[in-house]
Amino acid sequence: MKTRNLLLAGLLAATALGSSSVAHAQDAVACTGETVTLRILRTPGNYPYPAPMEGWQKENPCVQFEINEVPFAQLADTISVQAASSNPPDILVYDGPNTQSYAASGILLPLTKYLPEGWDEDILPATKTEHSYEGEVYSPGIEQTTVAMYYNKTLLEAAGIKPPQTLEKAWTWAEALEAFKACQQGPASSPTVWGLGPTRFGNGQPGLVYQDLIYQRSAGDPNADPSSSAYKTFWALSPDGKSVTGYLNTPEAVGALTFYRSLFNSEGVAPKVGIPNAFFDGKACFYIDTPAAGNALLKDPKFDWGITPIPHFKTPIVHTGSTTIGVAARSRNPDVAAKFVVDMSWGEYAYMNVSQRGNLPTLKSLFPRFEVYNGYPMKVFVDQLQEWGQPRPPGAKFAQYDKLVTDALRAVAFGGDPAELMGDAEKKVQRVLDR
Amino acid sequence: MSVPNILTAASAGTKARARKPVTRRQKRDWVFAAGFLAPFMILLLVFQYVPLVVMAKNSVLDYSLLNPAVAKFVGLRNFTDMIEYEDAAVSFGVTFLFALGVVVTVIPIAFLLALFLNSKLPARGLVRTMIMLPVVTSAVVVATMWSFLLDPSNGLINGVLNLIGVGNQPFLTSTGQALPALIVMTLWQQVGFGAILFLAGLQGLPPELTEAARIDGATKRQVLWNVTIPLLSRTTLFVVVIMTVFSLQAFAPAFLMTQGGPQEATNLIVYHIYNTAFIMQQAGYASALSVVLLLVVLAISTLQMALLRSRWNY
Repeated sequence: MKTRNLLLAGLLAATALGSSSVAHAQDAVACTGETVTLRILRTPGNYPYPAPMEGWQKENPCVQFEINEVPFAQLADTISVQAASSNPPDILVYDGPNTQSYAASGILLPLTKYLPEGWDEDILPATKTEHSYEGEVYSPGIEQTTVAMYYNKTLLEAAGIKPPQTLEKAWTWAEALEAFKACQQGPASSPTVWGLGPTRFGNGQPGLVYQDLIYQRSAGDPNADPSSSAYKTFWALSPDGKSVTGYLNTPEAVGALTFYRSLFNSEGVAPKVGIPNAFFDGKACFYIDTPAAGNALLKDPKFDWGITPIPHFKTPIVHTGSTTIGVAARSRNPDVAAKFVVDMSWGEYAYMNVSQRGNLPTLKSLFPRFEVYNGYPMKVFVDQLQEWGQPRPPGAKFAQYDKLVTDALRAVAFGGDPAELMGDAEKKVQRVLDR
Repeated sequence: MSVPNILTAASAGTKARARKPVTRRQKRDWVFAAGFLAPFMILLLVFQYVPLVVMAKNSVLDYSLLNPAVAKFVGLRNFTDMIEYEDAAVSFGVTFLFALGVVVTVIPIAFLLALFLNSKLPARGLVRTMIMLPVVTSAVVVATMWSFLLDPSNGLINGVLNLIGVGNQPFLTSTGQALPALIVMTLWQQVGFGAILFLAGLQGLPPELTEAARIDGATKRQVLWNVTIPLLSRTTLFVVVIMTVFSLQAFAPAFLMTQGGPQEATNLIVYHIYNTAFIMQQAGYASALSVVLLLVVLAISTLQMALLRSRWNY
C-alpha cells in the first residue's frame, strides 16, 4: 500500500512538472514564422541583461539567443579571431573606443538607418563621436562612464583638507598635489596611506590612456590656433586620425608629464604598482575611478567619502567610454540583430540595462530617471560628462595607439624622460598609422 | 660494370627486399604500427607542420586579423622592416640576454643540486620536493606571487633588503632591474627541472669509472672535474638545449608581470609576436618575426649540439 502511494505521488509530481513545462513551452511558442537565433559575444556581467532581453523576446517570439562570454582582458583578441571566422557572432559587446577600428576593418554593420527618430538630439555628443566613423553610426551605445576623484573624508578632515565639489571650483593639479602630500601618511614612495591610490584598471600600474592621457591633454587648449602645440596637445591625434607627429611630444605635454612623473617619483605620493582595494581599505586618501566605485560605496558605505572633479592644468577634460554594443557586418540576420541592438539602447530597455550596473546612460533623457545622479556626490560625474567629456583620441587604429601611448605613459611614471618617450611613441604610432 | 659495384647493388637490393613486409605477419605488424602512429602523426601534421607552412606563407603578406580577406602580398617587406625599425632587434636582444642569463645560472645551480640529491646527505627528499614544487606550479601563480614579492614599495624582498640596510629597489619598474628580476624568477622556477635531468644523468654513470679513478689516487674534486663532468656532457647538452629553447619561447613573465616594459626592457620575442599580431594587428609582420625566431632557435640548437657534442661514451 505504502509503495503504491509513493508511486502515485511520484506520478502526480511528474505530471505536474510535465504540465508546467508544457505551459511554459506554450507561453514561449507564440512564434508563427521561422525561428532566428542571435549569437551574442559579451563580457561576463555585461549587458544586454536578462530582464530587457526577456521583455524584448516577448515582443519578438521568433528570436532566440545564444550567449558566449569572455573576460574583458581577452575580449579584443577574441573579436579579432571570431570576426574573421566563417560564422561570426551576430552581436558584439566590445570596448567603445575600438568602434572606428572595427568599422574601418568592416567588422561592424552601420546602424544609422535603424536609429529611432530623436536619437541624434538625445545622445551625448562624446558618445556619438566615439561610435561614428565616416558619417555612419556603428553603435548606439547603452551606458557611458568617466572618471572622477574619490576621497576618504575622514583622512582628509584629519589633514584639514576640504576638496571642491563643483566643476567651477575644481582644483588644478598643483593644488591637488598639495592635498596628496598633506594627507599622505608615512615616508614618500612607501607610505602607510598613499596620497593618490593606484588604479583598479588593468594590472593596477599607471599609464592607461583612459585615466592618464588626460594629464597632458588638459595642458592643451582646444580653442587655440589649430597649428599651435597647445591645440595639438589637447587633441593628441590629428582630426582625420592619420597623424600623431607633433601631437604627443609637445612642450605642453612634456611639462604636464614631468609633473605626472613627479607624483610617482620625486613627490612619491602615488604607487607604481597596483595595491588591490587600497582606497576601500583606507590605504589611500584620493582615488580615481568610474561611477561603479561610488555605487558600490553607496550600497556598502565603508567610510565617509566624497567626490571631487578631476584636476586640470589649463583645460579641464575627462575621457568618456565604456563597453558598447554593435552588430557584426557579416551577421546572417543583420536586420533582426540591428533591431535588437537599437531597441536595447533606446527607451525603457536602455533604462533597464543601464540601471542594472549603475553606470551613466548615453541618452540625456534618461539622466533625470537616475535619482542618484541628481545630487552630490554622483552628480559630479554627470556634470563632468556633459561639460568636460571627450572620447579618447578616436581613430581607425585606436587599439594600437592605446597600447603604444599607455606603454610610454607607464615608462614616464616609472621615471623615464617624457620628451624622449613621447617622441618615441609618436614615431611608433605614426608607423602604425602609415602602414 | 665492375665486380664491387655489382656486389653493392646486390646487397642494396637484398636490404630493400628485407625491409618490405613480405609475410602476412609482417604486413599485419606494419598495419598495426601505422595505426598506432597515425593519430599522433596526423595531430603533428595538422597542428605543427601545416601551421608552419601557413606561417611562412603569411610572412610575405600584410594583413590584419580583423579583416584577413584583404591580405596584400608585400614580398620581403616584413623582413626588411625588421632591419629598418629597431623593435625586432631590441626584442631579440632582450630575449638572447634573458636566455643567456637563464642558461648560465640554471646549469651550474641545477648541477650542484643534482650532486646533493645524488649523495647520501640528509633531507634529500625535502630538498627534492622544494625544488620540484615551482616546476609544477602554474606560470600564472608564479608570476603573481613574484609580482607581490618584487613590489617596489611594500614587497617582501624589499622588506628583507631594508632589514640589512639596503633601500627599496624598483625591480620590475626599472629598466635596469626588470630583466634580471625575471631571470631570477625563471631560475627559481626551472632549476628543479634541470636538477632532475642532471640527477638522472648522474645515476646513469657507471660507478666502476669513478671507483677506478679513486683507486688510482684521484681526489673527489679531481673525480668530479675529470670523470663525472666529462661523462655528463650528453646530459649537459640536453639541459642546455632545453633551457635555451624554453627561454627563447618564454611568454608568461612578460605578459603577466611587465607587459614587455619598462621601455621594452623585458619585451621577450614571443610576447612581441603576440603583441604585434593581436594588439598591433600586423599579423604578416608577426608571422615574419615567427619565421626568424624559428630559424634562430634551429641555428642556436644546432650550434650548441656541435659545440657540446660528446667526445666520450660509456
